[in-house]
Amino acid sequence: MNHWTKHLPHYLSLLGILFAGGFGIILFGFDKLLQTALAIGVAGAYVAWGVVHHFLHRDLHPIVIIEYALIALFGLSITLSIINR
Amino acid sequence: MKFLHKLRHLFIPHESNNHKAKILHNSSLSILIFFFVLYQALLSFFPRFGPKILGYAANISPDEVIRLTNEKRAEAGVGPVSVNATLSAAAQAKGADMLNKDYWAHVAPDGTQPWFFFTSFAYKYRYAGENLARDFSDPTSAVNAWMASPSHKENMLSSKYKEIGVAVVEGDMAGVDTTLIVQFFGTNLVDTLPETPIAQVQAAVPSLTPIPTSAPAVVLTVTSIPTPTVTNIIVAAPPAATTTSPQILISPFNTTRGISLAVILVLLSIMIIDVVVNIRRKTFRLGGRTLAHIAFLGMILIIVLIARAGKIL
Repeated sequence: MNHWTKHLPHYLSLLGILFAGGFGIILFGFDKLLQTALAIGVAGAYVAWGVVHHFLHRDLHPIVIIEYALIALFGLSITLSIINR
Repeated sequence: MKFLHKLRHLFIPHESNNHKAKILHNSSLSILIFFFVLYQALLSFFPRFGPKILGYAANISPDEVIRLTNEKRAEAGVGPVSVNATLSAAAQAKGADMLNKDYWAHVAPDGTQPWFFFTSFAYKYRYAGENLARDFSDPTSAVNAWMASPSHKENMLSSKYKEIGVAVVEGDMAGVDTTLIVQFFGTNLVDTLPETPIAQVQAAVPSLTPIPTSAPAVVLTVTSIPTPTVTNIIVAAPPAATTTSPQILISPFNTTRGISLAVILVLLSIMIIDVVVNIRRKTFRLGGRTLAHIAFLGMILIIVLIARAGKIL
C-alpha cells in the first residue's frame, strides 16, 4: 500500500470537513453569527484533523501543531473579515 | 544576484530555508496574520478619527426595490403590495434615525421599536413588518439576500401585507459612507375593518419583543366608531452626513477582498511549488502536510470569491 492509498481516508475526511464548512458558510450568508460559528468550527476541525493525522503517522510535534494552528488562524481571520465587512 | 537568492529563499524550498519556502515558515505566517489583523483593525477604527474616505458605492432606487419585491411575490403566487407614501415616509424616518443615532438594528439603542415609526406617521396598522439592508451595490442583490433568509422571505411573501414603503438612505455610519434600505410592510387597519357592524380599534400597543420583523396584529372588538388620533408625529430628519459626492475612495469590503485574494493566491502558488519540488527531490522534513494546507486555503479562496458586500437584518 503506497503513501497516497494509506492516507486517502484521512484526506477524504478533511475534504468532507472543508466542503461541509464552506458550503454552510456560503449557504447561511444571512446569519452572520452562524457563519462566524461555522468558520471557527472549521478552523478548529482543521487543527484537530492535523493533530490526529500526524499522531497516526507518528510524526506529531509541537511545531506541526503550531503550523496547523497558524494556517487555521490565517484562514479564520480572512473569513471573519469577509463575513463582517 | 543577491536579490534572486533572497527571492529563492522566500518562495522556493532550498537548503537555505531548510527545504521549505521561508514565507511558509511559522514565523512568516505569524507576521502575515499580524499584518492582516492590523489592517482590519485600521479599517475599523480609522474612519472614526481619520478622513472620511471609506464607503460603499450604491445605485439603488426605492421603486426598483418595490418592483423586485412584487416580482418575487408574483413568482410565489402572492398578490402585489401597493406603494403607500406614509409608509415610505416612515421608512425614511427610520433610516434617518439609524444614521443619526449611529445604530444598525431593528430596535434603536434607546428602545425605539420599528412600529413607533408606523404610528408616528399616523399609519394605523393591522399588520406591520420591517426588513433592513445595508452596503448593497444594487437592489437585486439586496432583494436576493432577503429572499435567502427565511424570516425576511416570510415578510416579503406574506399575503397579510397589502402595502409597502421603501426608503434608501445614504449617510455616515461609524465613519463609513453607507447606503441603508428600509422596507416597511403594512396592512392598514381601515382596510381590514368590516363595513357593518362598525368596529373599534382597541388601543394596540405592540409588545416589546426585540427584533421581530413583523408586528403583532391589533385586536378588533365590535362596539363603536373609532376616533383616530395622531400622536408623536415625527418628521424624517435628514441623515447626519448625507453625501452623493464622489468622495468614496475605498470600499472596506472590496479592499479586504482584494488583499485576501492576493495573499491567498500567493500562498497557494508557493505551496504548489513546495509540493512539486519536494516530491521531485524526495525531501523528508518535519512539518504539516502542504496538500492539506492547499485544500484548506482553497476553501477560503472559494468563500472569498463568492462573498458579496451587503448585510441584512
